[in-house]
Amino acid sequence: MAVFTRTTRNLIVRIEEFFDNIDLGLLVFREGVKAFLDKDMETFERHISKIEILESNADKLQRSIENEMITHSILPQHRSEVSSLIDVLDEIIDTIKSSLIEISIEMPVIPPSLNHGIETITEASVSAGQELIPAARAYFVAPYTVREKLLKVYFFESETDKLSRSIRKTIFQEMNDLDLAQKSHLRYIIHHIENISDTAQKAADILSGMAIKIIM
Amino acid sequence: MILLFLVSGLFLGWSLGSNDAANVFGSAVGSKMISFRKAAIIASVFVILGAVLQGKGASATLDKLGAVNAIGGAFTAALAAAVTVHLMTKLTIPVSTTQAIVGSIIGWNLFTGNPTGSKALTQIVSTWISGPIVGAAIAILLYIALKAVKKKSGIHLVRFESWIRTSLIIVGAFGAFSLGANNIANVVGIFIPAFNLEGLNLGLFTLSSSQQLFLLGGIAIAAGILTNSENMMNVVGNQIVELSSEAALVVVFSQAIVLFIFSSSGLSSMITGIGLPPIPMVPVSSTQVMIGSIIGIGLYKGVRNINFGILGEIGIGWVATPVLSGLLTFFSLFFVKNIFGIDVGHKLTDLQEPAAANMAGQITGTGLSHILKYFLLSVLFAGIAAIIYFYFLERKKKREFRRSEERFWSNLK
Repeated sequence: MAVFTRTTRNLIVRIEEFFDNIDLGLLVFREGVKAFLDKDMETFERHISKIEILESNADKLQRSIENEMITHSILPQHRSEVSSLIDVLDEIIDTIKSSLIEISIEMPVIPPSLNHGIETITEASVSAGQELIPAARAYFVAPYTVREKLLKVYFFESETDKLSRSIRKTIFQEMNDLDLAQKSHLRYIIHHIENISDTAQKAADILSGMAIKIIM
Repeated sequence: MILLFLVSGLFLGWSLGSNDAANVFGSAVGSKMISFRKAAIIASVFVILGAVLQGKGASATLDKLGAVNAIGGAFTAALAAAVTVHLMTKLTIPVSTTQAIVGSIIGWNLFTGNPTGSKALTQIVSTWISGPIVGAAIAILLYIALKAVKKKSGIHLVRFESWIRTSLIIVGAFGAFSLGANNIANVVGIFIPAFNLEGLNLGLFTLSSSQQLFLLGGIAIAAGILTNSENMMNVVGNQIVELSSEAALVVVFSQAIVLFIFSSSGLSSMITGIGLPPIPMVPVSSTQVMIGSIIGIGLYKGVRNINFGILGEIGIGWVATPVLSGLLTFFSLFFVKNIFGIDVGHKLTDLQEPAAANMAGQITGTGLSHILKYFLLSVLFAGIAAIIYFYFLERKKKREFRRSEERFWSNLK
């Protein structure tokens, strides 16, 4: 009987910790990209080390949450959905880590005129992820509010798409001084940033269905 | 011969365990809140405790099978009821064991020329209607209330489910206790006057002759739960309407409330005391209240959620149970009387006593006492050993799992 043991409390703490990790990961990504654009490589490397720790913690928490749910038969009817949600949230922090590492390896040359655009798109993409976390937390305590919270995720995802289209248009149609390889490289980096909001939208779709199921 | 007759009672106990355990733990197991193994162990332990500690003996039985005035007739009636319930369990149709017994008594009445009071027939038909309707109404109200409490409290889903699970276990244990206490009379009550066994000293307490029979009956019910109730639990908790965890709890609570309302004369007199009409003391079946409660939740969630195919089968099963049991009793009595030459009873007069009284003092020998004593002791020890074995097996599994997790993370580093 889980209510008489620490299992329930421990699981709640772990779920909250997992969400904290994703939330922090998003902040680290935003600050990391900013540091790279400002050419502050020391701070950038510090953020990479930080994201590596956060990602590893998230993996451990993900595994322990899923193990705990199975071994103690917790949330039997919602277990698979909760696991899917946690998987897709983990995908966000995996994307963040791989994007920052790609940037650190490839060291893309970003023209200063694109700095503002990339900062804006990073902000929008990270915001989509950040708006997802309160919605995911709300699923466990106030499922009725989940869908309204998710509206912001969809909003920021579509903003990211628009910004990405506009910045790619600028790169390929207006910046004639860049060669094709550099243009493709920049598109690739933007695609990495965009991935965060796309994954957030994927999680929002799962969460939206989960909320309906639990309310009904 | 009496031991052979006792076997029919024990078979009825086994069938009762197979069918009626779903009333207690069906919604919990069907909704996956509790594993079948855990539910079966808890139900078995509490059924036995209920039967031994609070078993209502011959007095309750005399209302039912006790009306049959020959042991051969009682044996046949019990066997027919058991076969009917077993058949329904095979078809995974939850039915009322009491109605199977009432059907058997009507069959015996027809065979022996005794009149069947309209009361028994009214009882059967009224419970088909009153039980499910009241159960559905109470379940809807409870479900709305529980949903509102959950919404307002803002409790964490994990904690909420944990409380629901604990409540289901506690309510289920109580339910199993009363299942044993109330139904043991149907299983072995008729045989109590026929056995005069030596007291069974278990160290802390001594079991009287009737308690030993109750223990035997309790073990029969527990065997039914452990070996044959899983499918029925899944039908009840999963196939009529897909039950959520809170709906599973509502079903068992609604069942308990309805049974309390319709059996509490104190509550009825309290209501008449404040100038309201009395509650009719209609005998309701827990199976039918439970099915009604499940339908109520299905109706509240939307009619499309209800599996009408299974519901139709259950409805047919309810009508078929007393009819089949009655017919089976009637034809079995014919064979038992004419082929085996066993007295199955005759037309009742005011001077005649029921079968239980007729057999008093038939079995007394110390040999039987010893056989039963060693049998009960070995079953008890085997049960305790099995529970300890499973406990340590679970611990071992958890320990090995923890070690493999540690190895996984250390290898990853």
